[in-house]
Order: sequence, then C-alpha cells, then structure tokens
Amino acid sequence: MASQPKVPDHVPAHCVGAFNLYKSPEMRPTPFGDPFAAVAKLLDGPSVFYAPETTRDGQGAWIVTTAEEQRNVLQDGASYSSYRRIFSSAIGEDWPVIPLELDPPEHGKYRSMLNPLLSPKRVAALEPFVTAKAVELIEGLKARGTSAEVMTEFAFPLAVSVFLAFLGIPDDRLMEFVGWANELLHMGPAERTAAAHKILNFLEGMIAQRKEEPADDFMTFLVQAQVEGRPLTDQEIRSIAVLLFIGGLDTVATAIGLDLYFLARNPDRQQELRDDPAIMPSAVEEMLRAFPSVTPIRTATRDMDLGGCPIKKGDLVSCPSMASSRDPAEFPDPNTIDFNREDNRHTAFSYGPHRCLGSHLARREIIIALNEWFARIPPFRIKEGTAPVTFGGFVFGVENLVLDWS
Amino acid sequence: MIIKVDREKCAGHARCWALAPDLFELDDEGYVLPGDILVPPGQEALAGRATRACPERALSIGED
Repeated sequence: MASQPKVPDHVPAHCVGAFNLYKSPEMRPTPFGDPFAAVAKLLDGPSVFYAPETTRDGQGAWIVTTAEEQRNVLQDGASYSSYRRIFSSAIGEDWPVIPLELDPPEHGKYRSMLNPLLSPKRVAALEPFVTAKAVELIEGLKARGTSAEVMTEFAFPLAVSVFLAFLGIPDDRLMEFVGWANELLHMGPAERTAAAHKILNFLEGMIAQRKEEPADDFMTFLVQAQVEGRPLTDQEIRSIAVLLFIGGLDTVATAIGLDLYFLARNPDRQQELRDDPAIMPSAVEEMLRAFPSVTPIRTATRDMDLGGCPIKKGDLVSCPSMASSRDPAEFPDPNTIDFNREDNRHTAFSYGPHRCLGSHLARREIIIALNEWFARIPPFRIKEGTAPVTFGGFVFGVENLVLDWS
Repeated sequence: MIIKVDREKCAGHARCWALAPDLFELDDEGYVLPGDILVPPGQEALAGRATRACPERALSIGED
C-alpha cells in the first residue's frame, strides 16, 4: 500500500488537492490523451491549492490556477524567488542558470544584455533561415512517402537546427542534443545527472573554442560581453550558455507537435487554415494558449496569503501555464479553440520579468513551420494503426506523432 | 484618447506592437518606450485592441 503523501503542518487540510502534474492519470503517457483538458478542470476548483509531491523530484507545491493569481506571483520577484538550482542540483553544485534563476534587480542587468539579441525586430532576420530549413525538411519527408513521424522528422530537426544556428553550434549532432534534453527534462535522477555533465562538458568546450577563435554567433557574443563594465566571468558564461542551450531544445518542437496533433484530429480546423492562410499568426497564438507546455515554479521568500491560502517562506509555488490559459475569467469559452480570438493574453511565455526570452523567435518558428507545412502537405490525419502519446510533467508534449496524407 | 504606459510592468511581450506597430515604439530590447501615447483620430478601436493585448496589464486607456 502506498504511504500517505506528506503535507507540511502549516497547510490546512481543506487547502490540499489531489491533482499532481506528474502522476495524475491524465499526466502520465497516454495514447490519444488530452492532458490540457485535465488541467483545465482545475479552474472549477480553488485558485490556489496544495499538491503533495507534484514536482519532478517529489516535493509538494502550491498550485496556482487562475491568470490573476499567477500574475500576482510571477510579477513579484521580491516575494517569489526564481532560484531553484534546476540545473546545478543535477551535478551536486549550487549556482543559478542566468537569467532564469536570478531575481530582480540582479536579473535585469543580464536580461538587458540578452534582450536585444532576441528582440522582435532581430528575430525577423532569422526568418529566411527558418523558412529554408522548414522547406528542406518537409520536401525531404514528402520525397520519402506519404506519412512521417513528425516529431523526429520535422519538429525537432527544425526547432533545434534553428536554435543551434543562433547559438553558433554545428547541427551534425542535433539528435544527440535532443537526447540529452530528453534525459535532462524527462528521465530519472541518474540520467539527469549524466545528461547535465554531457551538456556542461560540451558547452565548456565550445566556450573555450570561441575564446580562441571568435565567430559571428551567440557563443562569441557571450565570451566578449560586458556586464557593469566588466567581462562576464567563466561561471556567468556557462550559466547563460546552459540555459539557452536547454531552452531551445524542447519547447518549440513541442509546440509544433501539439499543434499538428490537434489539427490532424480536426480536419475542419485544417480547412479553416487552408481557406484563409492569413489567420495563421492568430491561430498560432490561440494554439499557444490552448496547448502551452511549461510550468514556472517559484519559492516564497516570506510568509504570506495567496488566494486565501497560508504560504510559508520556502514553499514552492507552481504556476502551470496550461491552467491560467484556460481561465474563464480571462478567456471566454476557454476550452473552445477560436483561431480569431481577440484579447488573447495567454500565458504560454509566462508573465513578469522572466517572460520567455526566446518568445519572439518561438512564435516566428511555429508560424513558419505551419505555413510551410500547409503549403506543401495535403489534408493529413493520424496514421491508422498508430497512436500518438501525450504526457504532462515539467514540459507537456506529444510523441510518436505519425501523420498520414496519402 | 491616450494610452497610458506603465513601463515598470512591461516585460517585452510586444503584443501591442504586433497589433499596432505604428502606435507603439519599441526600444532595442523590444520593450515599449516609456511615456503616454497620443492616439490619432480614427485609430481608437485599434488602440483599444492593442491595449487589451498586453498580458502584463501595462497599458490602459485614458483621456488626453
């Protein structure tokens, strides 16, 4: 018999909920699943509740469901710290990935240094590369037949090669990097530690090389960058490099996959996009709202009340974007996917100072990926006899997505 | 009609600029410039939509 999950003494029994982002039935790998619908149901309950054992490593956390309360948490870095050693804990060290795990005002100086590189105007310059890569991949899989597993043959190769090009990392080991991300984000402690070492060793080699031979890329920018009038330390450089490397490996591919998974099962929604391709940017925003993949987690820096619940200093506070994006107070008919939705202030890229640094590149990539897909692939569906598998956890997603357009 | 900008709250989503690039100017980091924005006559509806697009609630409509 399983033991009762631990609940800290300061958490009143009526604040405890049964939901778990990793272990609830709908969060586990599920053929033809819809983990988003399961999270959306949380909005029928309280805006804040305590979930025992809901983090990757089995800790309890307060789960915040509504958009308004998530904004209160994510905009307030003084009360809710981002520092959690998400990467360094895997190798038994104690340092923040930068800027994600720094709090204001320290956070701002690194963020200001990095923002211009991924501003909306700057990412426009990457569009021809993204488009060419998307076309190459789609034409390649078309030449091979009338079906394809689109995660490994399209979504991952596209998203990761674009990001590696931005960082200045050759893409000949692309699927090996994707494997590292998978081990780090989705597997057990031993795999996570091994993956963290592999990533760090690789990046340290890259950094040393760019110090010797500068190139026109992000890694070179980092080794030459100044903060407060001094060069970055080696530790700062690796803390930033690690974050950007991990950040680009998983989430954009996931978003493309989740969109194609929805569209493959809804031919009428495909037709909507074929009838009016101009709505693609708005449709992508709506699918980002309906299928966001990430859950920001903070640590309370003081005792306080949140949504009527007693938060204690040191408690984890979890803000699943897939909950706030289905909040009926923010989005009328939140479970209806409306490609023309107005006032779509979704939370796929989070709120507050830690708003996803790569959000503008991510948006462009998803739009280009779907535009080029629809321009080249006739109506498509899930291949008969196959079953895509959805999963929850730290980054929601879908795998084994075999599409058929015969 | 003016758009009031709470620059402290801007987190660089740039949704305002995506909807109304002629109304909103971004700095090199991609964040909205500080200061109220005077809305030219005829663009009130667009200004309203762009204001409501801000995930941070950094924009609001005011009278000039």
